[in-house]
Amino acid sequence: MIISILRAAKFSLQDIARNVWLSIVTVLILVLAFFSVNLLLSVQVISQAAIDTVRDKIDVSLYLKTDAPESEILALRAAISGIENVREVIYVSKQEALEDFQTRHKNNPDILEALRELDSNPLSPSLIIRPNDVNRYDGLIAELNRISNPIIESRNFDDHKLMLEKINMITERVNQAGFAVSLLFIFITLLVLYNTLRVAIYTHRSEIAIMRLVGASDWFIRAPFIISSLLYTLIGVVISGTVFYLFLNLLQPYLEAFFLNYDFNIIHYFQSNFAQFFILEFAAAAAINIIASLVAVRKYSNI
Amino acid sequence: MITLENVSKTYPPNIKALDRVSLSIKAGEFVSLVGQSGTGKTTFVRCLIGEEKPKEGKIKIGDWDITKIGKREIPYLRRQVAVIFQDFKLLPKKTLYENVAFALEVAGKSNAKIKSIVPQVMKIVGLGAKMHRYPNEVSGGEQQRAAIARALVYQPKVLLADEPTGNLDSINAQEIIDLLKKINEFGTTVILVTHNRDIVNRLKRRVITLHDGRVISDQAVGKYVL
Repeated sequence: MIISILRAAKFSLQDIARNVWLSIVTVLILVLAFFSVNLLLSVQVISQAAIDTVRDKIDVSLYLKTDAPESEILALRAAISGIENVREVIYVSKQEALEDFQTRHKNNPDILEALRELDSNPLSPSLIIRPNDVNRYDGLIAELNRISNPIIESRNFDDHKLMLEKINMITERVNQAGFAVSLLFIFITLLVLYNTLRVAIYTHRSEIAIMRLVGASDWFIRAPFIISSLLYTLIGVVISGTVFYLFLNLLQPYLEAFFLNYDFNIIHYFQSNFAQFFILEFAAAAAINIIASLVAVRKYSNI
Repeated sequence: MITLENVSKTYPPNIKALDRVSLSIKAGEFVSLVGQSGTGKTTFVRCLIGEEKPKEGKIKIGDWDITKIGKREIPYLRRQVAVIFQDFKLLPKKTLYENVAFALEVAGKSNAKIKSIVPQVMKIVGLGAKMHRYPNEVSGGEQQRAAIARALVYQPKVLLADEPTGNLDSINAQEIIDLLKKINEFGTTVILVTHNRDIVNRLKRRVITLHDGRVISDQAVGKYVL
């Protein structure tokens, strides 16, 4: 058995070397197919990250009375922090609100001058509340509306609700379209792979018939083709992985500029998911290769 | 050795390639099978190597009923009933040596055995000096010799030669026939399927004539009668 496996491997390597152009073309098609799948997955990852970035920025603010004592504000903050689905509650004091206002309008001397005309700080302190799960935003708003505290000046959340509904709708559609496009694309890729290998085996049809003629078993005929396809797949995955990694390095500076102030690094994403990503690709392509080999060899093994 | 009992083979829609063929061939015989194109010679060969199954009848090689043969047994049958063809059927990307060695490799023979057997067989067929050439680097006659060498490495009981001289000039054709006679002298049963009247008449051996799928003549020392 071992000698047969070694011989099948020898025939496979001999065949790859002696049909070098066919081998190169097969690997090239595999590389293009893997690269396309990787690209599609990246587009999905980036679009999901963009949606998450927008969702992450969603918060609601409770504006408090200007004379609200600090101790009561902190007590209210603690109470809100205890509500389920609250990720964090940021307390923006009157002073911080003023500094933020001045920073935002530093290029508008009229507004700054008007502010200076006033005797005291006119801005209200506020509590900025960020939810854990924006899909359960309605429940959070209901909880916040139930809080009855005299230091609360206003709580108008309607604009946020509308925006969230739109984001959720867009997210859902992007996911649905992405899923459909991915399925279609993966199906096309698998068809391309299947046909590439069938063509590769078709060119060997007379050899397959001769192998059968001299008494080779089905296993012995198929094994070199299966080993060759696994090698092609492995080489294809390695090359496409390397090229794709270089491509991501070129892409990352543009993504950094796009996701300003947001921690998104596509290279890290691929590094952390490398194993499952490429093992899955290799396994899927290898399975297709084996099926193509089995079907094609069966077809051409009659003399 | 080889027995056919009422063997019939029909192809769709209703073409009778073999029609109730009954004959027997003894071990060590040299038999020529002749007939016009489309008379069932190729079907006869394909049935003997397990490539086709007859619709009716029984084919036995020794005690082995090959009409009931399973797919997994076919490789073993091919090692007992070797076959050579008009178009040689050599692997073009392997040298002549590798082509012959390949037949032993697929049977799982050890490298040491392959290294000892193949050069000997190559020498027997007269290719000792050219065994490391590729098929496209030698003549048609030499390619057929390599195909014969490949058929011989299993020491088969039967050698089926399906139009082995069809692609060769008369000198090379005669050399191949001489080689087949030599193989037959060593005890291998040889069945020669041919159109070549001169070769059949010169052989002065048993001749079976097929016509429309039926045996119309079977002479112990025969001539090409069609």
